Amino acid sequence: MSATTHAANLHRLPKFGVAGALLVGVVALAACQTRPPDPQAALVAKGRALFFNETFNGNGRTCGSCHREENNFTIDPVFIATLPKTDALFVAEFNPDLKQNFENPRLMREFGLILENLDGFGDLANRFTMRGVPHVLALRTSVASPQGPRTGWSGDGAPADGSLRAFATGAVIQHFTRTLNRVAGVDFRLPTDAELDALEAFQLSLGRQSDLQLPLPLKGTVAKRGQEIFLNDGLGKCNICHRNAGANATLGGRDAGNANFNTGVEDLPDQPARLTGERVPRDDGFGTPGNGTFNTPALVEAADTGPFFHNNAIQTIEGAVAFYNGQAFNNSPSGRFLASTDPNGVGIRLDATQVVAVAAFLRVINALENIRQSLEVLTQSAALGFFEREQGEQLLKRAVSETGDSIEVLTGGGLHPEAVAQLVEARRLAERAASSLFNRRGLTREAIQALELARAQLIEVRK
Amino acid sequence: MRALLSGIGLAIALLGAISYAYGQKETELYIPIGQSPGLSQKYTSIGELAEVDPRAKTVTIADPAGRRTVKITEKTRIWLDRSKLKLTNLTGSFADLQQGRRVEVKYDDPQRREVAEWVKVEVSQP
Repeated sequence: MSATTHAANLHRLPKFGVAGALLVGVVALAACQTRPPDPQAALVAKGRALFFNETFNGNGRTCGSCHREENNFTIDPVFIATLPKTDALFVAEFNPDLKQNFENPRLMREFGLILENLDGFGDLANRFTMRGVPHVLALRTSVASPQGPRTGWSGDGAPADGSLRAFATGAVIQHFTRTLNRVAGVDFRLPTDAELDALEAFQLSLGRQSDLQLPLPLKGTVAKRGQEIFLNDGLGKCNICHRNAGANATLGGRDAGNANFNTGVEDLPDQPARLTGERVPRDDGFGTPGNGTFNTPALVEAADTGPFFHNNAIQTIEGAVAFYNGQAFNNSPSGRFLASTDPNGVGIRLDATQVVAVAAFLRVINALENIRQSLEVLTQSAALGFFEREQGEQLLKRAVSETGDSIEVLTGGGLHPEAVAQLVEARRLAERAASSLFNRRGLTREAIQALELARAQLIEVRK
Repeated sequence: MRALLSGIGLAIALLGAISYAYGQKETELYIPIGQSPGLSQKYTSIGELAEVDPRAKTVTIADPAGRRTVKITEKTRIWLDRSKLKLTNLTGSFADLQQGRRVEVKYDDPQRREVAEWVKVEVSQP
């Protein structure tokens, strides 16, 4: 209830006398009390507004142009195809100053690839890399590394001190510029210190705030076997570099943090972007000139954020797991080393059923994370008052999107049809809640129940 | 088994990037003097070039903290900051390090501050 309404009510109550009016006033004020301001929440909210709305006087792009919230903070060809031609993502298609050497529109639309001048701006026509857009979820768990902060596909995405905070400055220069002159104050403005603080806080608030603790008590037969293979350092060997399916490695019993490895992705034959005949120079990874290594991404969020690897070379999570069976990986420095330590001289060798099992495990943990996020925002929405409708609607939309992802991730692997049915119901209820005038909270609570039932199909839930 | 895993760990660590994350230095070219987030004035010096010694390949910077002589190596990146002229910044060379020019220096050795990792030189006249 607004303060104005309370004031009006007080005017209508003189017959109760001063004491009555005071009592009503005290009760009304108590009801109007808002939660104490949380400085961190305010900073995150400011960061959110900047992330999605601030163009920094550039070409019209925002951080959200590539890191779309409704698409897990990334973009892929299917999503790109839904955007209008005038979307700022396509600025190279309609801004004459950015027509050459800023993006490759064909590779963007067909493979979701973005042009980056990671080895310098001296030869724009020939020195560039084409990379996918990494999501920005769960950065809290990975960005700090014993070897220094890691950002972007090769871990060196930020200028200045290399931090996530500084990342936005480099992104504005690379992606937001009006012309290729890239003059600060003319082609864009650089983010202020306060803006960098807010953008960093927002990004760190996204997704998981801590790593899983594997093994999980999974219920699905295939996913459970996939988890065993994943955790087996003599078979799947996945957990060596992706501890607890996150982005950090445990090397020699020590936390190595978010490390870089050369896994041979650049040596894959028949890379889709190169099949087009478009110029796609070899990506040399970390540093200038690069040392061929790339940064380890978290796997919990992998299944719904493909295509995979820095060059979007592989479309499916099953294909991404199968990559580690191939020549490109097993001939890479990382693959050769794993082979040298294996009693049978094998890097990684999994049969098709085992590949599918590991992928099923990754699909299920992704769906569980989707459900966790949906529950989080639905719970926030249910706690909002009647007049906080707009905020509630935004939260419900996010829940609908996350729940939709969990449905896709599970159905894509033919997994847990009963859970999928509950998720479909949860999404329907959340959609209804978003458009309901009087029963938003009731429908939201029902959606929460459906999500909890779905979760209970995937995992043993401790009471 | 533990020894084997330790060995794996160490060797894989060696396969990874041992070097620290220097950051994407290439966009650094376009950041005007004094505006590098987390670096400027904290880990850099901003001042005037008081002396230039082409033979020794050193420059002496005078900033509010005093004078400091810094070695310019083959690895040192030199950039011309022309943002005040509203012109694009360029890659420079040792010849651009001229007495009296305003510069920002980031050190390769943050503790000793003897070697420059990069130098931004302000160009205020076309």
